[in-house]
Amino acid sequence: MKMTKIYEGAYQWIMYGRDPHKPEKIIDTNQYVVRTAKRCLLIDPGGIELFAPMLAAVLHHAPVEEITDLFASHQDPDIISSLGLWDQALPHARLHASGLWEGFLRHFGCESIEYVAIPDNGGVIKLDSVELQIVPAHYLHSSANFNIYDPHAKIFFSGDIGAALEAPGAPIFVDNFEAHVEKMRYFHQRWMPSNQAKRAWIERVRSLDIDILAPQHGRIFKGDDVRRFLDWFEALQVGIAV
Amino acid sequence: MSESQTKSQFVAVASIAAELSAVMEVAKEISLAAANAKAIAFRAGEKARGFQPITDFINDLAKDTIALVNRINEHALQLYRVTVNEQRTTDACKRFETVALLAADAAYADSLTWPLQQAQLRMHDCRREFDTHVGTLLDQLTEVMHPARAARVIAANSRIEASQAGEYLQSLQAVAESVDHAAQIIHDKVHRCRSALSLINTAAE
Repeated sequence: MKMTKIYEGAYQWIMYGRDPHKPEKIIDTNQYVVRTAKRCLLIDPGGIELFAPMLAAVLHHAPVEEITDLFASHQDPDIISSLGLWDQALPHARLHASGLWEGFLRHFGCESIEYVAIPDNGGVIKLDSVELQIVPAHYLHSSANFNIYDPHAKIFFSGDIGAALEAPGAPIFVDNFEAHVEKMRYFHQRWMPSNQAKRAWIERVRSLDIDILAPQHGRIFKGDDVRRFLDWFEALQVGIAV
Repeated sequence: MSESQTKSQFVAVASIAAELSAVMEVAKEISLAAANAKAIAFRAGEKARGFQPITDFINDLAKDTIALVNRINEHALQLYRVTVNEQRTTDACKRFETVALLAADAAYADSLTWPLQQAQLRMHDCRREFDTHVGTLLDQLTEVMHPARAARVIAANSRIEASQAGEYLQSLQAVAESVDHAAQIIHDKVHRCRSALSLINTAAE
């Protein structure tokens, strides 16, 4: 599992992905970890097949007892089907996920972990002195869907928004936005159902100060590419299957 | 426990539930047959005097079987839950062991020791719980064979009593046949349940 620090200050943001041992037919995913002094948040920790390499990778940065929080942007299996295993590894941890999905996510196994239900208007995750904002992104693509914004590190975790389907071993950052667009187009047109939801999200995100936009699949956007992505997404017609 | 053993455990528990559901249906048929026999015996009056107490026995046997199957069903459901838990803990142990291998050079690899030990303990607890449930279920299945055997004896007696019932002979013989047939089905199905259980018991050893 490749590990890339995307922010380092009083705390760290680390991206895990491009696992060379991933079974061929499951979609590649980016997992993110926010590591503070005594705590650790796993953002979209991934599917069952990814549990072992993911935990092994996190153990380079934090001991098991300091992995205190999980966040699931929505209910998909590539996001959180590993929950039943985390539940046994981290019985002390808390899962932050939409209240709407609670009865569904518990199917993956959630006996010990505390389920912290996020209301539709979002909320906050506090890790030591770090405050992360939970930003609503409903219907993009899931009906109850959240992103995470770190105003201090200026990192925006965008879930499936900004995702691209890439060949194995693709670079971590977007290096040529124009070339990257074609890897995103169909994914966004087909998976995102609502132009109205898209416009509301863009308006909300444009008001934030963002250096890095980090999706759950594909490459990360930095600097001007963040604005380019928002402009491109705004002009894109989504929900094309109907 | 291997993956194929876990799968055969799930299949065995599911097939036991299916067989028990069929046993329940047959026991209800016996109950109906008893009610039918009672009505015929009442109409036959003196000619079927010996048959009348038999109908009560048949009814009691059907009720006993239904009550027993209800208890067994509850146990089979618990066994299914234990099987799910065991599958989950076994899978977790396997994956934690993989983590330990992959994280051998990680700074915090040692912190995995406690969760791995806990997972192994849970797995052994589940295994013990599973064995206890299988033992109880086997005993209960033996118990449910008793009314089925008694029903066959009663069916034989019913045939004798029916032979003295004049024009009601055929009707009462049909009742005796239906009780005998139902008892045979229950016996066979319960036997299949026991075989399935014994098989997973052996596979897990």
